[in-house]
Amino acid sequence: MGHFPGASGLAVKEHDFKKCHQSGFCKRNREYADNAAAQKSTWSSPYNVVHDSISFNDGQLQAVILKTINSEGATERFPLTVTFHKSGTARVTVDEEKRQKKEITLRHDSQARKERYNEAEKWVIVGGVDKDEDAKISHQDKDQVNINYGPDSKFEAVIRLSPFEVDFRRDGESHVKFNDHGLFNIEHWRPKVDNPAPKEGEEAAQVEVAQKEDESTWWDEAFGGNTDSKPRGPESIGLDISFPGYEHVYGIPEHTGPMSLKQTRGGDGNFEEPYRLYNSDVFEYILDSPMTLYGSIPFMQAHRKGSSVGVFWLNAAETWVDIIKAKDSINPLSLSTPKTTTRTHWISESGVLDVFVLLGPTPKDLTSTYGELTGYSAMPQELAIGYHQCRWNYISDDDVKDVDRKMDRFKIPYDVIWLDLEYTDDRKYFTWEPHSFADPIGMGKQLQEHGRGLVLLIDPHIKKVDGYSQSSELVSKDLAVHNKDNSIYDGWCWPGNSNWIDCFNPKAIEWWKGLFKYDTFKGTLENTFIWNDMSEPSVFNGPETTMPKDNIHYENWEHRDVHNLNGLTFQNATFQGMVTRKKGELRRPFILTRSFYAGSQRLGAMWTGDNQAAWDHLEASIPMVLNQGISGFPFAGADVGGFFGNPEKDLLVRWYQTGAFYPFFRAHAHIDSRRREPYLLGEEHTAIATAAIRLRYTLLPAWYTAFYEANKDGSPIIRPMYWTHPTEEAGFAIDDQLFVGSTGLLAKPITKQDQFSTDIWIPDEEVYYDYFTYETKKTQKGKHLTVSASLSQIPLLMRGGHIFPRRDIPRRSAASMKYDDYTLVVSASKAGTAEGELYVDDGDSFDFEQGQYIHRRFSLDQSALRSTDAEGRDTASLKQSKWLQAMKEVYVDKIIVVGAPAAWSREGVQITSEGRSWPVKVQYHPAANGKAAFAVVGRVGARIGEDWSIELA
Amino acid sequence: MRPNSSLALLNAIYSFTLAAAGSLPRGVSPEFASHYQNKDQFTCITNAAIKLSLSQVNDGTCDCPDGSDEPGTAACASIDPLSPEQPLPGSASSTTNTSNVLPGFWCENKGHIGAYVPFSYVNDGVCDYDLCCDGTEEFGHKGGVKCANKCAQIGKEHRRLAAEKRAKMERADKKRQTMLSEAQELRRRVESQVNDLKGDIAALEARKEELVRKHQEIETEEKSKVVRGEKTGSGGKLGVLVGLAKARVEELRDTLDKVVDQRDNLRTKVEELETILRKFKEEYNPNFNDEGVKAAVKAFEDYAARESTASSEDITEADIDSVLAEDTETNGVNWKEFEELKQAGDTDILYNIEAYLPPFLRSFIQSKLDGLRVWLIQNGMLADNHEPGTESALVKAAREAVEAAERDLNNKRKDLEREGGDLSKEYGPSDIFRALKDKCVSVDSGEYTYELCWLSKTSQKSKKGHGHTGMGNFNRIDWEEADDVERLDGRSLGKGKRMVLRYDDGQQCWNGPKRRTDVWLACAETEELWRVSESEKCVYKMEVGTPAACEPAEKKEPSGKDEL
Repeated sequence: MGHFPGASGLAVKEHDFKKCHQSGFCKRNREYADNAAAQKSTWSSPYNVVHDSISFNDGQLQAVILKTINSEGATERFPLTVTFHKSGTARVTVDEEKRQKKEITLRHDSQARKERYNEAEKWVIVGGVDKDEDAKISHQDKDQVNINYGPDSKFEAVIRLSPFEVDFRRDGESHVKFNDHGLFNIEHWRPKVDNPAPKEGEEAAQVEVAQKEDESTWWDEAFGGNTDSKPRGPESIGLDISFPGYEHVYGIPEHTGPMSLKQTRGGDGNFEEPYRLYNSDVFEYILDSPMTLYGSIPFMQAHRKGSSVGVFWLNAAETWVDIIKAKDSINPLSLSTPKTTTRTHWISESGVLDVFVLLGPTPKDLTSTYGELTGYSAMPQELAIGYHQCRWNYISDDDVKDVDRKMDRFKIPYDVIWLDLEYTDDRKYFTWEPHSFADPIGMGKQLQEHGRGLVLLIDPHIKKVDGYSQSSELVSKDLAVHNKDNSIYDGWCWPGNSNWIDCFNPKAIEWWKGLFKYDTFKGTLENTFIWNDMSEPSVFNGPETTMPKDNIHYENWEHRDVHNLNGLTFQNATFQGMVTRKKGELRRPFILTRSFYAGSQRLGAMWTGDNQAAWDHLEASIPMVLNQGISGFPFAGADVGGFFGNPEKDLLVRWYQTGAFYPFFRAHAHIDSRRREPYLLGEEHTAIATAAIRLRYTLLPAWYTAFYEANKDGSPIIRPMYWTHPTEEAGFAIDDQLFVGSTGLLAKPITKQDQFSTDIWIPDEEVYYDYFTYETKKTQKGKHLTVSASLSQIPLLMRGGHIFPRRDIPRRSAASMKYDDYTLVVSASKAGTAEGELYVDDGDSFDFEQGQYIHRRFSLDQSALRSTDAEGRDTASLKQSKWLQAMKEVYVDKIIVVGAPAAWSREGVQITSEGRSWPVKVQYHPAANGKAAFAVVGRVGARIGEDWSIELA
Repeated sequence: MRPNSSLALLNAIYSFTLAAAGSLPRGVSPEFASHYQNKDQFTCITNAAIKLSLSQVNDGTCDCPDGSDEPGTAACASIDPLSPEQPLPGSASSTTNTSNVLPGFWCENKGHIGAYVPFSYVNDGVCDYDLCCDGTEEFGHKGGVKCANKCAQIGKEHRRLAAEKRAKMERADKKRQTMLSEAQELRRRVESQVNDLKGDIAALEARKEELVRKHQEIETEEKSKVVRGEKTGSGGKLGVLVGLAKARVEELRDTLDKVVDQRDNLRTKVEELETILRKFKEEYNPNFNDEGVKAAVKAFEDYAARESTASSEDITEADIDSVLAEDTETNGVNWKEFEELKQAGDTDILYNIEAYLPPFLRSFIQSKLDGLRVWLIQNGMLADNHEPGTESALVKAAREAVEAAERDLNNKRKDLEREGGDLSKEYGPSDIFRALKDKCVSVDSGEYTYELCWLSKTSQKSKKGHGHTGMGNFNRIDWEEADDVERLDGRSLGKGKRMVLRYDDGQQCWNGPKRRTDVWLACAETEELWRVSESEKCVYKMEVGTPAACEPAEKKEPSGKDEL
């Protein structure tokens, strides 16, 4: 069948989506680049900074760039702002004066705004933009201005005036260069002149210019039977950004393909097309492709040994990024090997040019600084990091209850069951199919008994039908997106003819919020959460399955300007709704989104959309999820099992073993696929899947701690090798193995059929133990370690030097583990030391913001094993919440010391806590048969929230 | 190792266990009591070498590799093959991949029935009253949960329902007896009908033979008359016939010519449509899940599959061309030859006509001309020239008598076949389903109404219209092991061997197999369709109660079909 992979090799209808040459502005800018390259040194960028226009105040430089637009020397004016922030970032913004002042006319009597869109920051930037008042001009002459800024003034921006260029340096060395190759381009406004009858000779000069240029892609542009009226004509922006000496660039999700981005200008193994960022519902997407997908984060990091730098391109319009990696010419006198420089070319259709430059120098600095700008990943609902059971569709409330009971009967833990589209009455959101879901409250309550949740799908298209209050209100209150004629836009999606809520409109958000109140959305309970799908937005009959670009949003911004933000604004409106469901109730929402932009991490989780039940899709999921992590949106996962098609049993269990390492762990299936709940696999395979899910659950305290780190400083939840080991070059392109948070757990899930062993790349000299057997692995830094991996085995190592928390009692759900005792696993380093953390809060409220949490730091050295408050807090004065009080009865049950130093070879130890001291039994097992020595210490009986110490001396 | 007082304080919650349940630690069932009666120390049940102090029993940490030191806490629940494996020296496998020697936490449930609760459920903050009505498994009050003892109430309700269920089952068994005798009566009726039919058939056969003989006699007598009549009849009609035939053939040829044109026209249209459909099939987006589109694509695929396997045309273009070509001396019918044959014996020529036809035409004309003629008549292109044969009234009457007798005989034989076949058909143990023949039960479930017709078919009907969908036709009866939770309302398959009626070969599923239904039966007072589930795509499971599935007083093992 057509849409099952493998059967006919069918994939995405590639011709449904634009290639660069089919997107006028991309084509023009690529040609601009080709032209510049062809002219080599004779090419001169026509943009020059007017020296006298430069002013510098309070960390901000302002100037005017003049663009020479014809041979007569006519110019256009572009205001330039370069801002230096306390966070160490620099921001370069370029606008166009004529549009800024609205001194233009629009075609087709369009009512769209005349200015370049400059409100993306309103949705995206939440901090890190306090001006660096210590930034200062260190040098200025007629050619350039040097500004020192950043921590200890180690950063420097060198702004060249003719042509306009910026060179960002750290410690005197260039790391990021703007317009180094002269591709900076802002298409200035010009009127369309209908040949051959120019209107009464006005603006003759411009007519002349226009006639010289190729206008074929300037005006109305057609693709796939849809015509974009482009009332403002050509208005793209482009800029080349070079990273001298950097061979690897990462980021700019969402794409398939390797984490280390490929070149895009053709050649062996390279892409032919630029990476595209234009959020789209891409049906049956293909792998290893620069094609656009559902979401976009225009944040790119460049990495080389010992240094990371990044750029954040704040623009919500359709964007393309070309990447070229060039070997620097060899200096014959130099003995060092030639370095590679990565050159990128950024092209957006409209809006102001607005770029942030981050100078690192570590990957952690980048993710943390980027998070400061766009926000950190939200603390999740505790149940959201457990296992999610989804299917399009569970067909009735009875069906849901039956699956719920069966999961218990088969002893498979899970936390959330999902309802796709078909729970609604005729695809009207906020309603229930009256026959199949006659008793949603009864269903919700059964789930609640075990602390489980229900997720309902709510999409942004509202069925246009009589007698549906959501539809009539949307229309009567005028809260929907408009078409180019400024009346309400009609399109087709799941429910047939629909209208789309415009969540850029504060009134629309207000209205949307009201729809989630328990009294309004009958049948929902405190354990109901939301899934926002199709929010690119997906429009079945629209150009490239989305909205026409000349549609008009709130305050008359064109859809073209805001497209990539649409999903974020929708999720934001839902988020607002979820926190105001009931007066006085303030709980963390859980909202899954398919479409996203920089900043979406503050609102919930994402998944990689409609993948396929195929081995290559399983394999591709790991780099995709890793890439989300380093791009500031780490709460990510792929559909376990693959959405389209029917996975074989071995594929499905391997996918569970992989999914247990996705931050977002959900199984999902297409409506035409066979049932595949894990208990249906048959005894042997069900047992393997169950063990993988239970592995996730025993490690939930470690996962939650990793989520906390992401929330605190933007650290990825699962981490690629370059991020944890930024100086090990051999690891820079590795994207099929990962560390879980700071636990030292190194996993390499099997993603190939009939593969029963794998090679794990070892990044350092530290000792590694097998997670399941405590075997000491014979590892060597920079070499691969072969480990066996029968179908029931997950390649998982413990790096020496870490301590991580576990909860070992198999329970039915995360909620039912809430007050279980902890096991601490100490993985001793070669030096016999280890450290680690535990963060835990109530997993539900925002009380943690008031200090209602436990944050421990555990450390082992030669003399003692200790637990101390990780933040050195004095919590004595804290008025304890109900949860924190209940946690007083939660203890450390046992401590397992793997690779236990000889000091642990004893009958017992003395533990001291809360002013008391008592003996604890130790079972010491000396190293044998390749297994490391290990000690099991217990029952420890110390409260998890209190300081304690075990002296070994 | 004895804990000092502070540890005892910390673990108070666990150690008061010993006092709470008399002399036995919490969670120990009578079955295992003997292992916990030593007053000095505790010995792990299957690891006699490991001896623990009594304070280590139920102290919330797992010390015995068989889990036996924690009968009253969840601490040893991770000793389970389904949990991620960890080293566990001393266990059977030296890892946690082994089984806990204890079946669970024992809830005494005084006033009701004692039961084991899985260790995983102990102190998880959920009152599992269905297993532990006394609430003792939540003794830790995790997160403030308090499970009050509800055994009095639950036990009473349970006893009431159990009594009700027993009564129901008794009534069901009585019903079953009634059904059995009904079924036997029905079978007896069929048997007697079969016997009657056999008698009727014998009689009819004799009568038919007699009539055939009579008919032959009369016919022989009449034949001679006919032959004589022919001889005195025609002589020179052949010329006329040839003339008429020639005109007729021309006419037919013209018509065929037009039909061929029409066909070519249609063929072009079919090709055009097929091209459209092929493109449609390749380019539609199944993710949009439009039922109409899916059905159309499926139908086209079936059509395409059928077309590709259908045998090629049995008449070639060359054949048609040759028929359409003008008759000449070397092609088609050589009319001239006929016209020259003046007074030759008409009969000879008629009998020889095939000799004048091209070889392929002989068989072709024989097999196709009739069909073409009928088609032409039906489409009004040819008049119905059929004339009734000449047959004397006498012969006719005799023949009709034979035919009538034959018809009667055939009907009786068919009846016998049906009724006899019915006797050997599967009607379950003791033919009990005879009592349900032609009866149906249905249930509303969500958007659909499901219907089971006993030994006939299963179907679903959407409440939104869309008509019936066949979910299978009865095929056979199997037995399978059920493993469901017993329900006090009796509406459950429970545990044990159950009859499963297989309904196969239902309506084809989109992208899947033909629908089928497994109808699981359990004992109930009346016929009731309890629930329908889609165990996997297009495979349905119906759970159905019926007295027919009740166990007879003396338990009968299921065996072959005919148990009469």
